Amino acid sequence: MADQAAAGGAGTLIVPARRPFWKRELPVGWLAFFMNTPSMIVLAGVLAYPIYYAGYLSFHQVGLAQMRRGIFPFYGWQNYINLFEDPLFWLALKNTITFTAIVVTVEVVLAIAIGLLLMQTSVWTSRVTRFLMLLPYAVPPIANGLIWSFIYNFKFGFLNRVLLTTGLASEPINWAGHADTALVAVAVPYIWRTLPFAVLLVYAALQGMNRELYEAAAVDGASAWRRFWHITLPLLRPIIVVILILRTSFAFAVFEEVMAITQGGPGDATWVSAWYGYKVSFAPPFNIGMGAASAYVLALIVGLFAIAYVKVIYRRTT
Amino acid sequence: MDQFLSSSLSRRRLLQAALGAAAVGASSGLPWSNAALAQGWADRPKGKVDKVNFVVWTYGDIYTKIAQKFEADWGVKVESTISSFNDHPTKLATMFAGGEEIDVSQSSPFSFPAFIKQGLVEPLTGLPGIEEYVKDFSGFTKEVAVVDGKPMGLPYFSAIWVWNYYETMLEKLKIDKPFTTYEEFIEHCVKAKKDGVSRYPVMWVAGVGLEQLPGTWYSIVANKGGRFFDKDGKHMLGPGSIAREVLKWWANTFEKGLDISDPESLKLQFTTSAKAFGAGNNLYRGPNHHYGLNVVNDPAQSPIAGKVKVHGFPGDGRTIGVTHVYFLNSANRDKEWAWKLLQYLGGKTKDGVYTQAIGLAKDAMLGSGYNSVMASDVVKTGWKPWGEPEKILAMWEKATYIGEICNSVYQPWHFPWTDQLNIEVQKCLTGQITADVCCDNLIKGIDDAKRKAR
Repeated sequence: MADQAAAGGAGTLIVPARRPFWKRELPVGWLAFFMNTPSMIVLAGVLAYPIYYAGYLSFHQVGLAQMRRGIFPFYGWQNYINLFEDPLFWLALKNTITFTAIVVTVEVVLAIAIGLLLMQTSVWTSRVTRFLMLLPYAVPPIANGLIWSFIYNFKFGFLNRVLLTTGLASEPINWAGHADTALVAVAVPYIWRTLPFAVLLVYAALQGMNRELYEAAAVDGASAWRRFWHITLPLLRPIIVVILILRTSFAFAVFEEVMAITQGGPGDATWVSAWYGYKVSFAPPFNIGMGAASAYVLALIVGLFAIAYVKVIYRRTT
Repeated sequence: MDQFLSSSLSRRRLLQAALGAAAVGASSGLPWSNAALAQGWADRPKGKVDKVNFVVWTYGDIYTKIAQKFEADWGVKVESTISSFNDHPTKLATMFAGGEEIDVSQSSPFSFPAFIKQGLVEPLTGLPGIEEYVKDFSGFTKEVAVVDGKPMGLPYFSAIWVWNYYETMLEKLKIDKPFTTYEEFIEHCVKAKKDGVSRYPVMWVAGVGLEQLPGTWYSIVANKGGRFFDKDGKHMLGPGSIAREVLKWWANTFEKGLDISDPESLKLQFTTSAKAFGAGNNLYRGPNHHYGLNVVNDPAQSPIAGKVKVHGFPGDGRTIGVTHVYFLNSANRDKEWAWKLLQYLGGKTKDGVYTQAIGLAKDAMLGSGYNSVMASDVVKTGWKPWGEPEKILAMWEKATYIGEICNSVYQPWHFPWTDQLNIEVQKCLTGQITADVCCDNLIKGIDDAKRKAR
């Protein structure tokens, strides 16, 4: 039989020899499982475990002594109760939302504007811009904060020098030290640093657009504005949603610029959620359990945005 | 001449001289005497360690020399972790919580109760030589370092709050002497602004911190005879209180009032304010640690060096003072070696000398937490290049420990309450809330702070 099969005679059923298991092809499901396992393990270690551990700490009484000993008395919901009773937590959350709204709105508008500019290959500045655009992204956040704190300096800062010299201001402005301007003073360096990310996304989306749509619109006599409004913007919508959600998530966790420029001040004008969590956890009386609770609440809010991102994108793409 | 030398330094004479010196030394208790050698600072610990370490906040380059001396004296490597003053509690806390070994660390009096409560501090009771140190502790030091009768630390430095003024600017204003009353202070500042000599005549140390902004408020309240809490711990911030009235007065010097205060004040710490004052744009520098003069009167750091003078508080000159401490960390690798290192930082070196305290007085204009050092010529000669030691020491006599003015410093809840104090007072100074609202909020905040510290 084996000889016949090997000879391959007509009308003969060929039954291949059974391969050893290590040479067999895996079913698709198993293949996916094995291929994903390494990354799942890494993600579980660096993402899922910290999230679980923060949740665990938030239900326990955790100070320095407990951390050192590794014994955490169960505290129930007390950390959350203390957190929600703290007016500073709510103020920090309010400031975070205001900050995020400013940052995300400005970033989306600027990212589209700069992305469109980058697409104009006939304009020589676009090539320069394409290169310069990426520079802020390479600046470490804390260094960015320090640079801007020098720019904002009341007496010797570059910004006030320019305003005074050009006559745009008659007196120096206390950008980072005045309650009315401090949050914006933190938002500007943050936008400056993170804008390239949004620009890159928009630029990539613009490059993938079908040029025939524009040609057809031009033949129909559509103005540049109408082409933008009726073609570009609808096609950019999915990427705008991505930018909105991702930038919102990141902006919620702003910390370095606050640390370097205002340290939460003046007063509580720039106390944001991440700064609150840091102060609660790592300054006496070192209430790490409550800090974990605040971080967990923040993570949940960001998680809700992530769910919204998935839902919105899913709906748009289907 | 050579003949004289050879005869006077004969072997017999040399031996006689050495024996005589040893006898005198032993009887007088000099550092190199047998009595001194038997003390804790001179004996080698029995245990064996590869290294020891300390976790402190930065102040110039005061740790390099003492670490080198320790290594030379004992042959044990010293490692240091140094962060900024405001970041130090966080750095120490994370290292401790992370299970790292820490032999010696440092604390302001404001963080110390929290560190003790969290179990970071090892009592010094029973360690060799501790009784001698405690006997030499100054009043300020005892207030911080002795807790419930137990010695818990050795002093790092002591400081009092003083004012500074820019002499040249005062002369330009044709004012013959600095203010003697608060009314006069305002008059001088208003005149300086009106005459165009200084846009912002007064610079305060009002940056967020444990004793920067709070210290300015505490010191003026103390000078006016007020307190923040009475002996039973009841607040004294109610309507009509001195603390409340002082805050009203202080806030009135800012933008929404007389507009004579430098807006940068709200960001300034002790050293940064000294550097900023060195620009020569202000007439007065508000109450601050006395040693800022070693920056503002240092020609290498200040264009107006030599022209900044120290000035006492109005009235009876009452001011406040403070001592910061080093402590033996409970996470030490070897208690005896940790105690040895602690003594190098906050006590005596192998030769029985307060090497670090003397060095700090000479190099950094810091006061000492030991009576014997403060009474010695070291302070007078050491401080001389930057200021007027006699004048500062006279002010020192009128200084009250900060804890008498605000006795919450002995409580773990003082720290979270100070967080709120920084926020509320800055809001008041920037005109977001009134002094009355600020004080009412701080009264309400006492219970919140207690709850947070529980």
